[in-house]
Amino acid sequence: MRVLKGADVEQVIRKSGGARVHVELPAKFKAGDRVVARNLHPLGHTRLPRYARGRRGVIDRDHGVFIFPDTHAAGTGQKPQHVYAVRFDARELWGEAAEPRQFVYLDLWESYLDPA
Amino acid sequence: MNGAHDLGGMHGFGPVDPEPDEPVFHHDWERRVFALNLASGFLGQWNIDMSRYAREQMPAAEYLATTYYEHWLFGLEHLLVKKGLVKPEEIEARVAELRRQRVGRPAAGS
Amino acid sequence: MSHDHDHHHDHDHDPDHPGEHGAPLSGPALRVKALESLLVEKGLVDPVALDQLIDRYETKVGPRNGARVVARAWTDPAFKRRLLDDTSSAMAEFGYTGRQGENMVVVENTPTIHNMVVCTLCSCYPWPVLGLPPVWYKSAPYRSRAVIDPRGVLREFGVELRDDVEVRVWDSTAELRYLVLPLRPAGTQGMSEEQLAEIVTRDSMIGTGVVNGLSAR
Repeated sequence: MRVLKGADVEQVIRKSGGARVHVELPAKFKAGDRVVARNLHPLGHTRLPRYARGRRGVIDRDHGVFIFPDTHAAGTGQKPQHVYAVRFDARELWGEAAEPRQFVYLDLWESYLDPA
Repeated sequence: MNGAHDLGGMHGFGPVDPEPDEPVFHHDWERRVFALNLASGFLGQWNIDMSRYAREQMPAAEYLATTYYEHWLFGLEHLLVKKGLVKPEEIEARVAELRRQRVGRPAAGS
Repeated sequence: MSHDHDHHHDHDHDPDHPGEHGAPLSGPALRVKALESLLVEKGLVDPVALDQLIDRYETKVGPRNGARVVARAWTDPAFKRRLLDDTSSAMAEFGYTGRQGENMVVVENTPTIHNMVVCTLCSCYPWPVLGLPPVWYKSAPYRSRAVIDPRGVLREFGVELRDDVEVRVWDSTAELRYLVLPLRPAGTQGMSEEQLAEIVTRDSMIGTGVVNGLSAR
């Protein structure tokens, strides 16, 4: 195991690669597409909040390809895939009584989404 | 997992109540646990997704009743033990030893 | 995994003054000390590295970085374009790269759009440009309410938006890190980039505040 040394701290922090994966993969969705977040309730790690599950939104943008945290946390692989900013109307998330002109954007992996 | 950390939309937590000009760390142990997390992560025995998942496994009632860096402490211990880098008995023994040193006598609970 | 059940919150004892002879450390303080000593003994962490990490995030990185980016965007239209098109590259021009900021996105406030950033699931925050997040950002009230009652949260911060303004709350569920580009206040035409950077507040870059021309807070 390598141990982080004091002299290396600055470089390690600056050069952090992050979760983006530099690989070309076809994107299932594009900006403007209507999608619905899946209703999944895994016991393991996920980054799909309960409040968005089963909710309909619109793809705002494609952020590119990233490591998939659900499998990465379980040690079962990076499973790289496109992540999208998805725009949800507050009334879709919180009901008709929610305020108009209010939107929540979530960054969601392709595995969390189905076409609507 | 459907844990207590998944807070979006919940009611009942009261006002946001920001502290004006707050310091980066409120206690020295927060500084240390922050740095220990980053340095331990560098060992390459787990990834950031595993570290988030570790914190999520704090029992729900405890998660909601404790502070942010206490969550980090929990997660770090969880991972160190899970990966076999530290044994739970070692931690408890060291805690007891430090408590004895502090109080100057065998600890009778604190 | 066992967890010490004597681990109560010892509010009577100040963990920042453990030097007081015989004063017990608080639960977490004791446990962190135990862990640190074990990890150092086992050669798994280097104490110098720990100090470097603390120093970096406590003193070297903070919202002044983001404020410089905002001030540049306000005064240099070509930079602003680059910032919106490829945020990470534009921030790299300042050297604001690295951990928890590898994939940055700037979202621009306009007279009819107000952006606010949250991480409902934990505390994701753009460290290279804002430093470490404040306690309120990481706590249950903000994380729970930002997505369901953003206007109510803004009101708590003293921000009242007109009815015709669209509110966009960005929940940082993935590894994209968001920075709000606040509106440049009126009456700042004569100010230099440096002067402008001084008035950009941290909260305005999270989206829980706006920049006022008259004061830095």
